Amino acid sequence: MEKGKISALQMAIMMYPTIVATAILGVPSITAKYAQNDLWLAPIFASFIGYVTVYIAYKLHKLYPKQSVIQFSEYIIGRFLGKILGFLYLFFYIQVTGEIIREYAEFIVDSFLVRTPISVIMASMAFLCAFIVYGGIEVIARAAQLFFPLFVFPILILIILVLPDFEFKNIFPILADGIWPPMKGAIVPGGWFTEFFMIIFLLPFIKDRKKGMKYGMITAFAVMMTLVVVNLVVLFVFGPATASKVYPLMNVARYISIAEFFEHFESVVMAIWIVGTFIKISVFYYVTALSTAQWLNLSDYRPIVWPIGILLVVFCFWSIPNTLEIERFNIGVFPLYGFIVQTIIPLLLVVMAVFRKRKSKETV
Amino acid sequence: MIRNVSRLVRKTKEKKPHVQKNHDDSKPQDTLHKNYYQNVETFRSVYNNCSDVMFRPFLLFGKTKATIIYIKGLTNIEGIEEFVLSPLMNEPNNVPSSINEFLENKMPVSTVIRVNMLADCIESISSGNPILLIEGESAGFSLGLAKWEKRGIEEPIAEGGIRGSREGFNESLEINTSQLRRIIKSPALKIQSMKIGNYTKTTVAVAYIDGLVDQTLIEEITNRLKKIEIDGILESGYIEEMIEDNPYSPFPQIMSTERPDIACANLLEGRAVIIVEGTPFTLIAPISFFSLIQSHEDYYQRFMVGTFIRWLRFVFLGISLLLPSLYVAILTFHHEAVPTSLLLSISASREAVPFPAIVEALIMEITFEALREAGVRLPKQIGSAVSIVGALVIGQASVQAGLVSAPMVIVVAITGIASFMMPRYVAGIALRMLRFPMILLAGTLGLLGIMMGVIAIVIHLCSLRSFGIPYLSPLAPLKGRELKDVLWRAPWWMMDTRPRLTGESNLYRQAPEQAPNPKRGSETE
Repeated sequence: MEKGKISALQMAIMMYPTIVATAILGVPSITAKYAQNDLWLAPIFASFIGYVTVYIAYKLHKLYPKQSVIQFSEYIIGRFLGKILGFLYLFFYIQVTGEIIREYAEFIVDSFLVRTPISVIMASMAFLCAFIVYGGIEVIARAAQLFFPLFVFPILILIILVLPDFEFKNIFPILADGIWPPMKGAIVPGGWFTEFFMIIFLLPFIKDRKKGMKYGMITAFAVMMTLVVVNLVVLFVFGPATASKVYPLMNVARYISIAEFFEHFESVVMAIWIVGTFIKISVFYYVTALSTAQWLNLSDYRPIVWPIGILLVVFCFWSIPNTLEIERFNIGVFPLYGFIVQTIIPLLLVVMAVFRKRKSKETV
Repeated sequence: MIRNVSRLVRKTKEKKPHVQKNHDDSKPQDTLHKNYYQNVETFRSVYNNCSDVMFRPFLLFGKTKATIIYIKGLTNIEGIEEFVLSPLMNEPNNVPSSINEFLENKMPVSTVIRVNMLADCIESISSGNPILLIEGESAGFSLGLAKWEKRGIEEPIAEGGIRGSREGFNESLEINTSQLRRIIKSPALKIQSMKIGNYTKTTVAVAYIDGLVDQTLIEEITNRLKKIEIDGILESGYIEEMIEDNPYSPFPQIMSTERPDIACANLLEGRAVIIVEGTPFTLIAPISFFSLIQSHEDYYQRFMVGTFIRWLRFVFLGISLLLPSLYVAILTFHHEAVPTSLLLSISASREAVPFPAIVEALIMEITFEALREAGVRLPKQIGSAVSIVGALVIGQASVQAGLVSAPMVIVVAITGIASFMMPRYVAGIALRMLRFPMILLAGTLGLLGIMMGVIAIVIHLCSLRSFGIPYLSPLAPLKGRELKDVLWRAPWWMMDTRPRLTGESNLYRQAPEQAPNPKRGSETE
């Protein structure tokens, strides 16, 4: 199936942009709607879902070290139910990947290439991702490693450059309405944190197996920190107006002005953001292709990479009929949907698996 | 599996013409005949119509018939006269009992080898060593008297420099291997040679340092070399294309150099060097992408200078790939990204230009490539004419005529210079070639297109391997310890470890903590 091996660090570097890339774009304003000026606390609460998910995924991985959820669910709940559950995961990842590609394309069309047909942007991205997925997990890991600094350092530089526009007093009053608003605000980013469950597909290919959990937790923490910092930056710059911006971080980039010569960095930010999104879609695409192959008991996932690519582009239109749906999906559907599929069901699987193992030990 | 089958099919198909073609060694298994006359006859028929092959019959010690066969211009004729003919032709008082013994012990020629096979005799003659046939002997004697005109050791033309050895490889394999041996005197330097090419029978030598190199690498290289079945090898480029990992890649996966010091530096890092007869360009494998942007002078200059130049190269690598496409993308899609004052001056100079930016860029880039290629290929006397035409007519006149804008000329010029910053010419060419699809992408999708192109190139680089070593190796997959020779050029006293090509064993190449730290003894009073 997949002969490549990656290190735990590489897995962490793959997962970080996978969560962060889209989370820094639209999530701050959604969070701000519920949490107002406490939006920076929301990712901290949300990250607990991340830690729990990583823990569950690692537990499952330890019980079935060489398999992914598609394969071992057949052992846990029986062949027939396992196949049904496998199909659920398959469908989930195909649909979510389609949704991510759509979100990416909407953003590009909205902000930059207004007159370009959206299908061109989606298809070109799907093509590139198919190219890298075809190369295997090692290639994805290496590309992620190479792009990681390209993705992280510009964000840091961006923060430094907008420092003059910070209004630090925007942060006050902290927790004026009690703990509930940031808790409510944490629901949407929580959906993103459930995506950590995807490490279950990567863990079997890790060389230094024992570090899997550690690096998973480190990644979750890094994502949390990033989101806290991004939310703080947005809050410092926009204050109460944050909720009204669709892509607040992009708007922040507009504030940069050095010597009245270097201005309008939006397109640079976009270029960098594309890199992160590319990694995100590639990882999702890879998981989709791999799990499809595992579900169909294929010996190699490569022959189905291109057909799945076409399916993904089609799902961009099927899963999201129009732009308004994206926000509705992100706010109303995904937090619960992702939470159930990527955290609750795996939790049940762990419980059942532990139960089964104990039972089989007793009978022996 | 399929490849093997098709190989088999190809072999059976080709067998017939194969035999017909190679009449020069039609029966390579043949041994020499016992009959002297028949042997001479065989050689005469083999070398039928070869006016450069000389047969010189004479009487050995005044009574035995003998013939010496050699090729004019490949053999030391004075040597034949002085050391072979004159001692053998005079009639000594006591004729030696055994010819064999006489040739081996009393002939003043460095090597005398008894050769039984016809094919070996022919090989010896073709490589300049005359064959001596003697009546009553069922074997020929190959005499080590090869000598032909060679170019002397000269300064390498394609890889110049300010500091460092001025010696370059040349076309002679022996001179090249001797240059390696002169630098690396340890007997651990091994040089294995083989002949490739049905007609040219080119000698190809694989050099490596025993104990530093991964032995499986040498096996892999020799296996791949042995698989080559070709009429002739005229340049190491033939070999390069026949043994590289991914034949469909613009990037070279094997490096070529004409500098012995570069070859030796790579040998010392556990790589293998393939030397091909007839070309000064030797091959180095395995390499990573970063080998292509390291120059020998990085290591000879002070490390800060080396690091600075290395970073300059990284920057100009980006420029040489991206600058024209960025210019096109910004002018076509992202006006807002340019500061207003700059945008004004650019658009002022573009006012009269009838073409869109992408057409302008393509025209200028193609012209530049043509100028470059013409400049390389032309005789030196006309070279100056090309540069005048290029600079004056194309540069200035086209701007004045309003066909091309001045900023575009500047962009193309900077890009051209940038691509020449790469110390390896081939890598520069790869980037120059990729520039054109990048311009097209920039013209259609703007910055997004450029990012797509960059991502595609990175994916390709990530999936490339050179003899099993990932192409972007110390950076992705990340090997922290080896970054000392990639992101910066560590001072020599910090270069304690070899690159991890050699495996875990033999990791250290020098004693640790050698940073010079002289006590200020003289200052104490």
